[in-house]
Amino acid sequence: MNFIPDRVEDLVRCMKCGNCQETCPVFVVTGKESRVARGRIRLLKAVINDEIEITDGVQESVLTCLQCDACRITCPPGVPVHELLLAAKAAMLKKGKALPEDQNKLRISIKDESNPFAQQKGERGAWLPPDMKEPKPAKYLLHAGCAISYASNRIGKAVIRILQKAGIDFTMLGDKEECCGDPLFRMGDTEQAEKQIEKNKAMYKELGIEYVITPCAGCFKTFKEHYSDIIKPLHIVQLFDRLVKEGKMSFSRPFKKKVIYFDGCDIGRHGEVFEEPRELLKAIPGLDLIEFPKNRENAQCCGGPLLGSYPELARKIAAQRVQEAIDLGAEILVVACPTCLLNLKEGARAAGLRMDIQDINPIIMRAL
Amino acid sequence: MQKNKVFTDVLEKIKNLVGEEYFSDSLEDRLCYSYDATIDEALPDAIVTPGTTEEIAQIMKWANQAKLPVIPRGAGTGLSGGSVPVQGGLVMVLTRMGRIIEINEADYYMVVENGVVTQTICDEMEKRGFMYPPDPASMKTSTIGGNIAENAGGLRGLKYGVTKDYVMGMEVVTPTGDILHTGTRTVKTATGYNLTQLFVGSEGTLGIVTKITLKFIPAPEHKESLLAIFKDMNHAAQTVADIISSGVVPATLEFLDHITINAVEDFENIGLPRDADALLLIETDGVKEAAMKEIGRVEEICRKNQAFRLEKAETEEQRDKIWEARRTAFSALARVRPTTILEDATVPRSRIPDMVRGVNEIAKKYNIQIGNFGHAGDGNLHPTILTDQRDKEEFERVEKAIDEIFELALKLGGTISGEHGIGSTKAKFMPDEVGDTGISVMKNVKKALDPNNILNPGKMFVS
Repeated sequence: MNFIPDRVEDLVRCMKCGNCQETCPVFVVTGKESRVARGRIRLLKAVINDEIEITDGVQESVLTCLQCDACRITCPPGVPVHELLLAAKAAMLKKGKALPEDQNKLRISIKDESNPFAQQKGERGAWLPPDMKEPKPAKYLLHAGCAISYASNRIGKAVIRILQKAGIDFTMLGDKEECCGDPLFRMGDTEQAEKQIEKNKAMYKELGIEYVITPCAGCFKTFKEHYSDIIKPLHIVQLFDRLVKEGKMSFSRPFKKKVIYFDGCDIGRHGEVFEEPRELLKAIPGLDLIEFPKNRENAQCCGGPLLGSYPELARKIAAQRVQEAIDLGAEILVVACPTCLLNLKEGARAAGLRMDIQDINPIIMRAL
Repeated sequence: MQKNKVFTDVLEKIKNLVGEEYFSDSLEDRLCYSYDATIDEALPDAIVTPGTTEEIAQIMKWANQAKLPVIPRGAGTGLSGGSVPVQGGLVMVLTRMGRIIEINEADYYMVVENGVVTQTICDEMEKRGFMYPPDPASMKTSTIGGNIAENAGGLRGLKYGVTKDYVMGMEVVTPTGDILHTGTRTVKTATGYNLTQLFVGSEGTLGIVTKITLKFIPAPEHKESLLAIFKDMNHAAQTVADIISSGVVPATLEFLDHITINAVEDFENIGLPRDADALLLIETDGVKEAAMKEIGRVEEICRKNQAFRLEKAETEEQRDKIWEARRTAFSALARVRPTTILEDATVPRSRIPDMVRGVNEIAKKYNIQIGNFGHAGDGNLHPTILTDQRDKEEFERVEKAIDEIFELALKLGGTISGEHGIGSTKAKFMPDEVGDTGISVMKNVKKALDPNNILNPGKMFVS
């Protein structure tokens, strides 16, 4: 079958050494070869060689990839698994292989309501303070993202207050804010994702936006990869870290806790933001920052990207991360991504693990 | 492979025994268990992931009656086709049995299940101040069962030996479904045939090792590391010979050739001189004073042999830095061409210069790229062929070159496999090394244990 022809060179480079087994969180919990890069690559080759059709099994093997890109780090020939799997997802959809029912619902929800949670578009900005409901021309645009707008308002409210306290002039889009496109890429709907991006870009241009700042790691990664030609994307921790270093923001209230920082894949490996959240946490008086053995570039995904599609798998992976944090004696597990937050909490709950899991922003706000 | 009724029936029984979750005959899974880390591939009929020794014994009884081939498999990271189901049949994945059952610090042994990842064993030992020394490059993923099947080696082989040196005993399911216990938990034993060692390196052809009693040793208290770079490979080789004859046995004595050094520089640019002909990475370990004295002696020997760059690590960071070249060697080579073939021809260490020169001549003769790196201290080289499997004409040359590399290793008094095993990829070279009588004795052993030739058929011997 003529399938991802421009990715054949990547497929050929897989030497089947199996190093990806160690780094793939999905393989670690399933132990199945169809749930690791080496097996997925073999199946994609099989599709190309007409050894197999795009069956449900092949599709599931591909869709269960977290796109966390951890395996690229330990892959001797450096196969770009993330890009390869995104291309495969897109190609499957183009070849007419429909998404599983529940994932298709997410896709339709983004198309109709511009969020993956089947929430109403007109409700998006309901949580915002009155002065933030309408966009205005500004240098900084604060993009809350779907997860914060519909599920984790608390993070967004903290960010707004910190920005206001630091005297940053920024705007928000309120109900006019839309999905950044990330979940669409993950499901393979490149076409709709690109439409979404063009729509957002037009709005940014109209308002003369220079920086798009966001507490959502997934949105940040997408801005970095797809919007950098017209705006400068910043994860909110990058801006806060800069403000602290410039002396425009400082922490006065101590926070005497043993905190472990979790590098989400979108802010970390994809977004390459590793030090800023750590610098911020270390600047808080009394805070004791500890590390996962696998951190920064080598950090292990929480499983979050699969929470909407394969929730049981996602929770199992999350529970492993939470257990690691418990074993290391952490009192608070801190993330800089609403998806990580949601999924780690889900994982802890499902496994009956007790751990205080928080987004970094409420912690920052409390220490100001 | 044509599935017959007998096979279908026995596979159905096996599925009922282990439960649906641990059995699959879907085409997707058959494709995903058709390979190891070589280029060989073959589709199995089904995959089973048993959870207990008893389940394995039952499966073997049925398989033996039905003459269904069974191919034991760990993580599938082998480098000789050992777990590739070349005659179809049932792939038996052993990763589910992954417990460390007992660690006895008084008697220096531990009992583990076959599916434990080797790194887990090493980490557990390190935590307790001990060491399990065998460290194959695949140790973060490969299982102890797989290491035993292939008698895996690693970087520490020269001083500490390889997998076989740490296996004290085992529980094995025979091809006919009996459960056998071999060895002891004692340092000494003189009871009967040494069956334990018969199964080490048997590549899953004689039995399925389910539990293993492993030896461990106290961890060395101190390490010293030295990087030495030479303009002439002969000087590096003389250095290796002089180190050994001086009475120093380094824990690590690794070698990179000119091609590998340049591949590392292309890949990471860590500042290695491109005109270097050889690089040695040497570590001594043990009691602090001894390790320091030994590395001092090694340094002198390197100087005497005209090493033009010497770097000694004073801190953990520096140690990490001087390991960089060795650590990235394989990745660097693997990025040069689409297909990478890693061999393990091994020679007596004094013959390394002859071996490297010979491999370079073979590369020239067939106009292909071969990088050499590996374990200089024990003569275990990894000629790494960089090619493109899709280029038929080039690949024919590659195959001829591989034949000649093995011929050369044997001519130099070496072996066709230092640590990867024979499997399907090297079976045709076996008679050249072990002779007709060797093959005949081995086949008789195989027949005695596996009369129906159902366990990993098509391996080690050309049928």
